[in-house]
Amino acid sequence: MEAQTQTRIERRAPANVMRLSRLGSFHQCRLSFMRQLTRRMARENWSFSRPVFDIDDTGVGTAVYTAQGPDRAYSLVAFAHDLPPEKRSDRVIADAWDATFALFDGVPTKADIERLSQNVPLQEAGRVSESELSLSRANRSVRLWEHVVDALAAGQQPDLDQIYQVGYLMRTTAVYGSGKFGAADREKVAGRSETQAPFQVEMLSVYLTRTFVRDLVQHMAAVKGGDHTAKLDPDIARWLGIGNSTGLGMAPFIVNHPVLFNNWVMAREEALARVRSVETASPAEIDKFQELFQRSQLSISWWRSEHPIQVSKLAELNADLRAISSYLATNGLAEAYPWDALINWSETALSQEGQEYLASLILEPYGDLVDGLASCMADSRSEAFVIDGKMPIEQIRELIRDTHDWALHLDWAAPENCARAWYVSEEKLEPRMGERFEEPIEDYEQPLAPARDAAAAYSALSDWEDTKTVAEFLLRHPEHRHTIRRAQVARTAPYGEIRDNTISDKVLPIDMLRAKLSFFGATHFDPRSDRWVRICMYSGAPYPEELTSENADLWVYPQATV
Amino acid sequence: MNLSLNEIEATAKRATRGAGYSWGQAEEAGKATRWLCAQGLDGVETLARLLALGFANDPASHRPQDLDELWHAEGDLCPLSVGPLLSDTAQFLDTGSIQMQRVAAPALLLPFASNAARIQKCALQIEFDDMKAVTDGTRLSSPGSFPEKAQGVTISKATTQSLPREQQTRAHPNSDDWAVLNQFAHRTYAPATEESRLLGAGSGLSDND
Repeated sequence: MEAQTQTRIERRAPANVMRLSRLGSFHQCRLSFMRQLTRRMARENWSFSRPVFDIDDTGVGTAVYTAQGPDRAYSLVAFAHDLPPEKRSDRVIADAWDATFALFDGVPTKADIERLSQNVPLQEAGRVSESELSLSRANRSVRLWEHVVDALAAGQQPDLDQIYQVGYLMRTTAVYGSGKFGAADREKVAGRSETQAPFQVEMLSVYLTRTFVRDLVQHMAAVKGGDHTAKLDPDIARWLGIGNSTGLGMAPFIVNHPVLFNNWVMAREEALARVRSVETASPAEIDKFQELFQRSQLSISWWRSEHPIQVSKLAELNADLRAISSYLATNGLAEAYPWDALINWSETALSQEGQEYLASLILEPYGDLVDGLASCMADSRSEAFVIDGKMPIEQIRELIRDTHDWALHLDWAAPENCARAWYVSEEKLEPRMGERFEEPIEDYEQPLAPARDAAAAYSALSDWEDTKTVAEFLLRHPEHRHTIRRAQVARTAPYGEIRDNTISDKVLPIDMLRAKLSFFGATHFDPRSDRWVRICMYSGAPYPEELTSENADLWVYPQATV
Repeated sequence: MNLSLNEIEATAKRATRGAGYSWGQAEEAGKATRWLCAQGLDGVETLARLLALGFANDPASHRPQDLDELWHAEGDLCPLSVGPLLSDTAQFLDTGSIQMQRVAAPALLLPFASNAARIQKCALQIEFDDMKAVTDGTRLSSPGSFPEKAQGVTISKATTQSLPREQQTRAHPNSDDWAVLNQFAHRTYAPATEESRLLGAGSGLSDND
């Protein structure tokens, strides 16, 4: 983490930040991976082209979109399919989709496209190569797709209210990177400036996918409407994002990558501490905050969910917005340390949904304090994985207490505290969560309850002398090796560990999904169950041909009227 | 076969867990197998042969009882026990060597020796009977293949280092060995039931909207 900025206010404590209910209330911010990407592409003046668009009247075919940066090009190779409705499933166990994609490293030849056409439509059942950086697929939002095709074919523009309500024409149901199914490992691109930050490959793939989907819907409308077809108004097209439908697969990721996840959370917490440490807000900074506060409310007004948990969180958030308005009207931001005062006030006045919304929003006027932290969000410290075996037992006990104090006295045998178990199903290796006492899954349990495992290791350590070493303990107790590693990792990654029970009868995996997705820059979290969430990406963003430094960053906050 | 190193690591980790090792050992076996493949060695074959020995059914017979001068056990030593131990006790190499007797799949010690070299910030040599390898923590100088078992292994600070092996970004294992790892990995997957299919991952709501 950079140290050049003096902070008067400390980062928030991990014990407070890393609770599931708070993680499940995170919002996108300046450091989100989508916004990092669009800022960079505008700053570096990337150019975009569509060398192939070969789609027939049934909507089947191939397209290629190339993004050319200063040093390298990346191409989305898209395959459009004619999917029978009964096959349309967002689950990992699906085997056909409306569209499938690979992000190619460079510009593909005809032979590359032919090779990919034999594999990409099969997704997990195919193979890609070291030339591909990601593999993904998307399904239509049937209602909105049909509405937009019909409207344009009839020479009309689609209804904005319907667009606001759904938010996208297609939603991705998986975006695989980092060596999956034969693709290039992360190491291939980790040293490149444009892909050093996390998930830039995947975010670029989704950004280009959105452009393809806009072009495809125009094409299908033209097939239907012929000469009478209207051209989709760019001011309307901009509100079309790309959806994503995410199940449990994402939840283990943040447990299995504690250093990486720490770096994301710590960057945002450091950004928050820096802004809270600003002694005086300038009129321009206050104006910027006020403007984005207004603009964000429009986006929130489009946020729909039928899930009771999110319905109530949205009601709280709307009440919080009113409370913030009153606070700003009464207190202004003229006093010393205005952002710190605002955050302190929010901790008792607002719901966690509102607190985290505000924590992200106050970063906006301070790109100069915040944006440099983006370079700290990757995990380049592979050495953190290696256990320090000479550490005395006394110290490892202390480390476990530091992170898991709350868990050490919990009755982990009580059914309510270990009701769930995480496992991998043999069906397409889909991660799932089940009922430990009702299903035959315990033998297959994945190590996704670090707090329970920490309590077990702590107990095993209780009759070891303080001066013995971790190496001696682990020689006898290899079953605690993963836990000792995590405890040592936490020394430098204090935000890497969830401070909650991930297997209790009350756990909501959607909290873990949202925490990860918020760092991508997702909006409009719409849980479909306790373990499944739909989101929107890039809604409001400029398309490649519109991208400029002026619109590359704040697109996530819609302007008041179209 | 042409596999990414991430695929190697993920499958090796699951296979090691499926063979009965702890999660921590499985994590390290994944990284170790990947490291061997990155050096152009056949890590998949090495791990497949080791897992087939079934040491995890009786781990106490395949790890040292004490950290005395010569690490030995009732049976052959398991490199997934003494490898991590070597890394955990790297500081011993400051003042002397680490010696082991009868080690199965000894090539799997190399990635752990590389950890130790990084911890101690020095190059280490690993002598297997009449063969020798040297690592500075990142690169490896070694022959292209290793015996299935070493009678004696000595790890100590290196005095000389020859040309390191070329680093690889892909692995090309034998499909039979890869199948062995996948069979072990399969033991970690729960058979699908109708209940888990409906409730275990999904929303239960229609996606055709």
